[in-house]
Amino acid sequence: MMATRRRPSRWSGGRRFALLTVAPATIILIVLSVFPLLYSLRLSFTDQQLLSLVPPRFVGLANYAQLLQDNLFWSSLGVAAAFALSVVTVQLGVGLALALALYRLPRYQQFIATLLLIPSILSSSVASFQWRSLFDYSSGPLNYFLGLLHLPLLSWTADPRLALPSLLLVDFWQWTPFVTLLLLAGLHALPASVFEAARVDGSSSWQILRYQTLPLLRRVIAITVILRLIGAFKVFDIIYVLTAGGPGSATESLAFYNYVQGFRYFSVGYSAAMSYVSVIIVIVLARVILRYMERPVGRPAADVPVAEAAV
Amino acid sequence: MTSTAAHSPFPSGRAVPTPVTGGRGGLLASVVGVAVGSVFFLFPIYWMLVTSVKPPSEWLTSPPVFIPDRLYFQNYTDALFNWGGLKGLVDSGVVAVSATAIGMVLGTFAAYSLARFRIGGTNLSFFILSLLFMPPVAIGIPMFLFWSALGLVDTYIALIVQYLTFTIPFIAWVMKGFFEDLPVDLEESALVNGASRLRAFVDIVLPNVRPALVATALLAFIFNWNEFSIAVLLSRGRVTTLPFILPTMMESHYVLWGDIAAMAAVGALPVVIIAFLLQRYLVRGLSFGAIRSE
Repeated sequence: MMATRRRPSRWSGGRRFALLTVAPATIILIVLSVFPLLYSLRLSFTDQQLLSLVPPRFVGLANYAQLLQDNLFWSSLGVAAAFALSVVTVQLGVGLALALALYRLPRYQQFIATLLLIPSILSSSVASFQWRSLFDYSSGPLNYFLGLLHLPLLSWTADPRLALPSLLLVDFWQWTPFVTLLLLAGLHALPASVFEAARVDGSSSWQILRYQTLPLLRRVIAITVILRLIGAFKVFDIIYVLTAGGPGSATESLAFYNYVQGFRYFSVGYSAAMSYVSVIIVIVLARVILRYMERPVGRPAADVPVAEAAV
Repeated sequence: MTSTAAHSPFPSGRAVPTPVTGGRGGLLASVVGVAVGSVFFLFPIYWMLVTSVKPPSEWLTSPPVFIPDRLYFQNYTDALFNWGGLKGLVDSGVVAVSATAIGMVLGTFAAYSLARFRIGGTNLSFFILSLLFMPPVAIGIPMFLFWSALGLVDTYIALIVQYLTFTIPFIAWVMKGFFEDLPVDLEESALVNGASRLRAFVDIVLPNVRPALVATALLAFIFNWNEFSIAVLLSRGRVTTLPFILPTMMESHYVLWGDIAAMAAVGALPVVIIAFLLQRYLVRGLSFGAIRSE
């Protein structure tokens, strides 16, 4: 808002143009999202079943009360939380190590980085099917390698204790390259002078990483963490293809349980109530991310947001 | 990128102090790390490609066949003609191209106003950003009821319009960043010379962000091409995009890994080509505009 005032008056005069250009997109987005959200808010107060002939009744907050007592709901929240936490810590750790390693190898760096990125740009449907074949008990390469090492073979997605870690492996494979690429971009934007000074001071490599590099990277790290958190929270596709939530409910995340209630059991009202829990979580996460992404008007960002953190 | 490392013809890792650990040991560890990483991240891709050219007798062998004796391309003709891959290519293409084209027009205009006029303030920005991160399942039920009420479930229109819920926010958000990076002087001098705002935008601003427009459009295309959850919720078998076809191939008793791998490869090829064309823009696009990379 401050920035608007500093703008030449001509810019504030363009209000009509601004409204006309922003309106079509905004109207479409409102029709496509606000209406459905309001409609499902209403549904969430009813006991509507999709294929039922009985007219739906208004049940107030009963669906929400039922949610609180639904063990499967809590376990799906637990699965979603466990998934998100492992995704963020493991992918960030390995992604950082890989980014630091790639940084040391300037030759062919961009080519290697793009090659490594292939998993992240594939459809999750394609990725899931590749892993389904890799996970195959008798003919899959993973168990073949375990056999070579004289280790016991694993039922990757059929064992209740292993199913979630197996999905995490697929997500790790698909998204760690993406994390690596973001952190590598962050490293490239760091000011070299800081490190020169530290080196002259006789700091060790580890000290430089710990006290210079990581603090300067914190903004890129924050954005990466939030993007992966949201991705992990939304995870649906690989569950749909690889485990369908099973065995039992071992891999039923919030999004997937929501789908099961709505599209398998047709409990539309109940499913809508669950959607609202997701919506609230996403809104909170989006609030956080907005803080990291917004920049002042018309002021070109210093190369990467990181540079601001350096000041 | 500000760093010289990425563009210098010679490795500068040891000559210039870097944010990264020094020494020969560090360099060796880096080479090993990148090599191990490459094997892990690329092996499944190799497995897909090699499976796609294996004859049926080698699909389910134990031990698995890593290097087939001969190349068997019939999987591709099976995938394309028997499993509807060709129709899948057409459907994916129609949906992805349409959603991207409409999204580009609406999203770019919106982005310009968001960047230059701060129209709608943070509330509008926040609204658009939230949509980008909304899980499709969260609006799945009303979305499905809406399209059934219109009798349009399982049609191009439903998918294209529904894909706009994330395509417009994505394009608006990334292009907003590019417009913010563009100095305002250019448009201001055009306005002083009597151009209308629309003229200034079309004649002055757009040509200056042409590479960004191309990059954003291609990334939006990748997301639309790959989309799976909405397709699952809104397709019943008439409109079949490639990601939607793959699960339908699992229903048979005998798992047709060769055909599945061929279909997956057909679906992957366009996005991989685009990614290599777009190397410079990938970071910015994939981070939804949050991180710049050149």
